[in-house]
Amino acid sequence: MTLKTTMTLLLAGAAVTLSSSIATAQTNLQVFVSSQHRPDVWRKAFDIYEAKNANVKVTIETGGNTSEQQAQYLNTVMTAKDSSLDVMILDVIRPAQYAAAGWTVPFNEVLGSDAANSMKRYLPAYAEANTVDGKVVALPAFADAMFLYYRKDLLEKHGIQPPQTWDELAAAAKKVANAEKDPNLQGLSFQGKAIEGAVCTFLLPYWSMGKQLVSDGKLSFDKDAAVKSLKLWKDFVDQGVAKKNIAEVATDDTRKEFQAGNVLFAVNWSYAWGQFQGAESVVKDKVGVVKLPAVQGGQPASCLGGWEWGVSAYSNNKTEAQKFVQYLSSPEISEFMAVNAALLPQFPEVYTDADVTKAVPWFANARPVVETAKARPVTPRYNEVSEIIRTTVNAVLAGQSTPEEGATQMEGRLRRVLR
Amino acid sequence: MAMASETTLVTTRNESGTKWWTRFLDPSEGTLAVLLLMPAALLLTLIIVYPVCRLIWTSFQNLSLTSGVPATFAGLENYTLMLEDPVFWETTWNTVLITLITVPGALLIGMALALMANLPFNVKWPVRLSLLIPWALPLSFAGLIFAWFFHSEYGVVNDVLRRLGIEGVIWFNSANWAFAAICLTIIWKTSSFMALIILAGLQTIPRSLYEAADVDGAGRLRQFFEITLPLLKPAIVVALIFRTITALQTFDIPFTMTRGGPGTSTATLAMYIHQNTVDFLDLGYGSALAVVMFALSMGVTAIYLRMIRAKG
Repeated sequence: MTLKTTMTLLLAGAAVTLSSSIATAQTNLQVFVSSQHRPDVWRKAFDIYEAKNANVKVTIETGGNTSEQQAQYLNTVMTAKDSSLDVMILDVIRPAQYAAAGWTVPFNEVLGSDAANSMKRYLPAYAEANTVDGKVVALPAFADAMFLYYRKDLLEKHGIQPPQTWDELAAAAKKVANAEKDPNLQGLSFQGKAIEGAVCTFLLPYWSMGKQLVSDGKLSFDKDAAVKSLKLWKDFVDQGVAKKNIAEVATDDTRKEFQAGNVLFAVNWSYAWGQFQGAESVVKDKVGVVKLPAVQGGQPASCLGGWEWGVSAYSNNKTEAQKFVQYLSSPEISEFMAVNAALLPQFPEVYTDADVTKAVPWFANARPVVETAKARPVTPRYNEVSEIIRTTVNAVLAGQSTPEEGATQMEGRLRRVLR
Repeated sequence: MAMASETTLVTTRNESGTKWWTRFLDPSEGTLAVLLLMPAALLLTLIIVYPVCRLIWTSFQNLSLTSGVPATFAGLENYTLMLEDPVFWETTWNTVLITLITVPGALLIGMALALMANLPFNVKWPVRLSLLIPWALPLSFAGLIFAWFFHSEYGVVNDVLRRLGIEGVIWFNSANWAFAAICLTIIWKTSSFMALIILAGLQTIPRSLYEAADVDGAGRLRQFFEITLPLLKPAIVVALIFRTITALQTFDIPFTMTRGGPGTSTATLAMYIHQNTVDFLDLGYGSALAVVMFALSMGVTAIYLRMIRAKG
């Protein structure tokens, strides 16, 4: 073989290898999924996408048990400008923060000229939570809200209707407690520990009085309403409706104690329902869900939950990642996740879908609650706002400060952050 | 002084026309010293001097990673904010209080443990082992374990009290009880470290001194105050320095037991620094807080060092 032919063969070989490698160029998408939201079911949704798009491979990453822990992890990844994550699921309070920090890529280009219009398919609260200054910074993954769970059997036994106001709830709880004489039965369980859930604890009655915490990025703190809100919860403790150590109770403690049959009324997110109906539950088929009570003369209010898909600004596969997120945030996947993982849909029409109503009948009643749920304040400094509110709620419930002192401290500290 | 003499040496050699690199082949005593110290000095610069300087520099900046805006020079703004921040004062006071309670507490209990461990047992290892275990346990484990001990409903502390006919308290529902629970845990965790150092000190005291005291008719108490305590002083001071500095940096145990609650009543300065830098990503303010803590630790160390020097 002459040198010339050898060279030709080598070049031809190189060309073939090169072209074949272009043809099968694979995109690997690394997706962060919150471990409490059924990564096993998300995996199945990802598999469907992989089957349709042979050149994309999706890997799941999980870590941390709570929203705060996951945020801490993502904070470190993002501040390190690490390109290893392409897509990440974000608690509804975070897209605004991430956008302000420049950690996510807006979807406006891929959504076309009228991005605002394409967001109208979603429940309005989610269109709002994911749009910052006209930029669509993330797309909704699923919805959530807080509900009032109650023991259907006990209310029926004592001839009580589910309460419409917090006063009615207290009266009902006292009536049942006097009749049942069960020292282990708590009237009401809610979140008093200094966790993210305690922010909602504070805001529920505050919103019910028609007040806002932040409007147009400025603090609009109503001290009177804040005192009343803190006092409402503290009174539940003082009157024996809630247990004395409520300041130690986190979201999942409420769920566990209700599930063990020790709670009459509970404030919790939608995830608790599936667990209450599980095989280990003492209260299976004895649980009712309604919208949360209002303050006397106020409107009922719920805290908006839900999670969003964002694409990392440091990803090397932004285009593929955005395509993938558009697929995840579609009515089909929303229905798939509602049926298979009992996650509330972000699209209004999916609630009445035949397959969904068959799998999770109570979703039909959940829609008005999600629709009227209010979003926690949208600000890049949300972590600090959250910390101020939850530590104050915790201190008041522990009897460390009075509702008046708590509201004063809260106002002073919030003013410093939102100055 | 060594540096000065070395420079003169170098100049003379250079003047005499020697190639500069020959110094490395046949170094003078001064050059050799510099060469040998260089690796350690470089390493220390890299891991201590540089981070500390960077920290101080950052504390004069407006640097929040969530704002999306690049750092700007802020002058003393972070420090003036700090002085008006009630949580800064509260967490600093909590840190000082924890130090004032747990350091003497651990010293007394550690001393008692060391004296007991120094008794002439036939089999020594079970005593030594039980001294080592609390010390070897990671701090956050100890915090989590004691958080369960003090849990108002499921905890062993309230269970024992209930069996004794005493109504237990909701430990983490009150600032004072939560603080007490944290201090007890820290004392339990750290007194074994004190005991280990003091035990080592005890074993350097010659038996003959006690024998002589016996002959002179000194009682056990007198022997303790006249022989044991004075000879233990160096060991105690070393133990105190280590313990005080770690007490000023208390983080793990309150973090795992109460997360600073109820409210912020059991939060320490280290926890507040962590919160500002890791949770809020406000590196400017967090660095200013860290500078204060650094100054506090340096101040305490300086006082101890002066005490040692004064006592000889």
